[in-house]
Amino acid sequence: MADMWRIIYNPQGDIADILAYPSALVEGRISGKYLLSGEQLPNSMVVQAVKRRGILAGADVKIDKQAAHKNNIDVAVAARGGRGSPQPYGSMTLSQLMAKGSRKYKAVDQDPDEPAVLLYTSGTTGKPKGVIITHRNFIVQCRDNVRELLALTDKDTLIGVLPLFHVYGLANGLISSIYFGCAFSLIPQYSPQALLENISKVKATILIAIPTMYMHVVQLVRMRKSLIPKTLRYSVSGGAPLPHNTMKEFEETFDTQISEGYGLTETTSSVCVNLSGEGYKPGSIGRPASQVEMKVFDDDGNELPRGEIGEIVIRAGVVTPGYWNLPDETEELLQGGWLHTGDLGYQDEDGYFFITDRKKDLIVRGGFNISPREIEELLYTHPKIKDAAVLAVADKREREAVKAFVVPEDDAELTEREVLEFCGQNLSSYKVPKIVELCASVPKSATGKVLKKELVEGYKDERLIEKGS
Amino acid sequence: MNNNAMTSDSLVTLLEEVTKKFKKKKAILFEGREFTYAELNENANKVAGGLEWLGIRRGDRVAIMLPNIPEFVFSFFGIQKLGAVAVPFNTMYKGREITHILNDSGARALISLSSNAALINEIRTDCPALEHVIYTGERTLVFFEPEGTANVQLVVEKTAFDELEQAFERMGDLLLRVVGEFGVSEAWYKHRGSLRHEGKKLATIVVSEIENLAIINAVVFLDDYNLDEFFKVIWVSPEIKDKVVEPMTSVRTITGSRPAIDEFRRAVEKHACEIFGVSFEPGELKRDEKFGYEKTRSMAYRT
Repeated sequence: MADMWRIIYNPQGDIADILAYPSALVEGRISGKYLLSGEQLPNSMVVQAVKRRGILAGADVKIDKQAAHKNNIDVAVAARGGRGSPQPYGSMTLSQLMAKGSRKYKAVDQDPDEPAVLLYTSGTTGKPKGVIITHRNFIVQCRDNVRELLALTDKDTLIGVLPLFHVYGLANGLISSIYFGCAFSLIPQYSPQALLENISKVKATILIAIPTMYMHVVQLVRMRKSLIPKTLRYSVSGGAPLPHNTMKEFEETFDTQISEGYGLTETTSSVCVNLSGEGYKPGSIGRPASQVEMKVFDDDGNELPRGEIGEIVIRAGVVTPGYWNLPDETEELLQGGWLHTGDLGYQDEDGYFFITDRKKDLIVRGGFNISPREIEELLYTHPKIKDAAVLAVADKREREAVKAFVVPEDDAELTEREVLEFCGQNLSSYKVPKIVELCASVPKSATGKVLKKELVEGYKDERLIEKGS
Repeated sequence: MNNNAMTSDSLVTLLEEVTKKFKKKKAILFEGREFTYAELNENANKVAGGLEWLGIRRGDRVAIMLPNIPEFVFSFFGIQKLGAVAVPFNTMYKGREITHILNDSGARALISLSSNAALINEIRTDCPALEHVIYTGERTLVFFEPEGTANVQLVVEKTAFDELEQAFERMGDLLLRVVGEFGVSEAWYKHRGSLRHEGKKLATIVVSEIENLAIINAVVFLDDYNLDEFFKVIWVSPEIKDKVVEPMTSVRTITGSRPAIDEFRRAVEKHACEIFGVSFEPGELKRDEKFGYEKTRSMAYRT
């Protein structure tokens, strides 16, 4: 005779039921076993649906319960699991792993020029490449660049809001903080609110963030003036250009200074800083740190005189030895012993560097180079435009044509025609986009860089899992 | 003013050296908790020793898929002390993005959130070098919606299966047949993970174990639902909204109609009989179970 299992049907449950049924079944069977309860508990299946919207959250997730209540969403929080709680099949927990190690583990000997970290970066094409960062790269970044550009001391408290899987948060955040004996405050889930509260709570002295975060926070404090911490002695922005008005507003509100940094994963983060204050030049990435050589080369590897645009190249102790398992790409990256950044720009008479474009983003049409960045910067100045991305698409004759993706400001009525007319009034005709597409947002990376490859037609969503893939 | 001259030329020894100088000083602050340099160093030592116990050696790659939590820092410096190579990657990555990084780096171990178990399980057979998966944190975040989601949970003796691997397969098979009843013919079951249709997720399956019991938890998407409602509660930067959740589909999107929950239950019961080779008897929670049920509910809604 077939076994008899129980089926429990709960079609009008709520979010707590999703947790409570299986845990009741488990607890019943396990405690029943120990307490010698009279009832024999069978194998069981529960089929349920909820009658109201709900969020099921783990014990470590922070949820705004007020907002949930206001939006009619139930929130059920799972109790913190202990040693004896259910565990995903085929895995172990970090605490089990750590229980196998000693508090007094003796570190191994390792050559400082061996890789410490691989960080994967998405280029404009192809799959992410693993950038090798050696032990020495990280140490040199702290000892030379951070010491000089940030001047951290062991009295500092840093805000760790940038993701640690990114070079900027890892090298200039966590590792710098440890190197200089600072306190590092971790924020696991960014929101402007969480960031602002954390700065107050830990009396942070250094904020390292990206432009979108500065913009969000400035907007937030405009609405609620009372909660402004004034402990920040210094702030750094990087990852993408910071609009000058945001910078000014943040500096005035928080009584701090923001410096804009420039660096790549391939340079273990920052190599250049545009220091706020007297020497600040809008639109510049600043001057390189003293242990960093930075030049502008033409396509044949000759150094260009100041003022002329070419590729920015770097030589320094923070430069990666290359890409993991990609000898050809590594050779191309490090031609002639110089790291080729792929950024186009120039150096002015005072030694400040300016970036004009990404080399690979340049649009070539009718023999002219068109700078997407120039068009984007124009679009940003339009009062109804919140965000924009400009790139090349193939036209009917397979030539490169300019396409602009434009995100209108909230509640703004904006038409494609308006955008085209605005470009027509402000740009030479060959630079005016052939196509304008209005959209709700443009895809961005964790540090706020526009992911242009995701906007290209035929982009393949790598998150999908296809059959047989 | 800047007198910190560390002599370490590598991350292998850096933390130890800083700790000698700043033992009792705060190193990591996190949600009201503090870890001194000495505590951080000890935790990193334990990770290093634990990884070594697993067989991880100098030069091996260990991937980290964690948000900014103390365990990231313990893991990172633990890996460094062992002379292994840390491969931290974007916590928003899904599917082939993760597969590519794990395979390209040849990571032998991965440290991630337990809430990523379904995501990792699904790609695990595509990553032959990955031997160990280590989970931490309790960061589950699942959205349920009256029209959109149905939930199937099983709590059974492990002996119901030859090995626990079978629990995934049986549940996958069950759900495939169930959605098949409603006209979804092109869906398929991905190893240890989910039902997919045109690459998108249609249902998700997680198997956990405790003592002699297996717990199988599945959510099936009957209808597409608007995540914007949930994003009013969970703040997510607008630019990354479509990256925080996996691309999803639903029975309604595929077939044009949404099965009623009653029909869904009938289909589940019918096919479960065949797949598990058992009969089902409708029932309620018994006395021994009611207590646990009420306790979990009140804990879940506590403020």
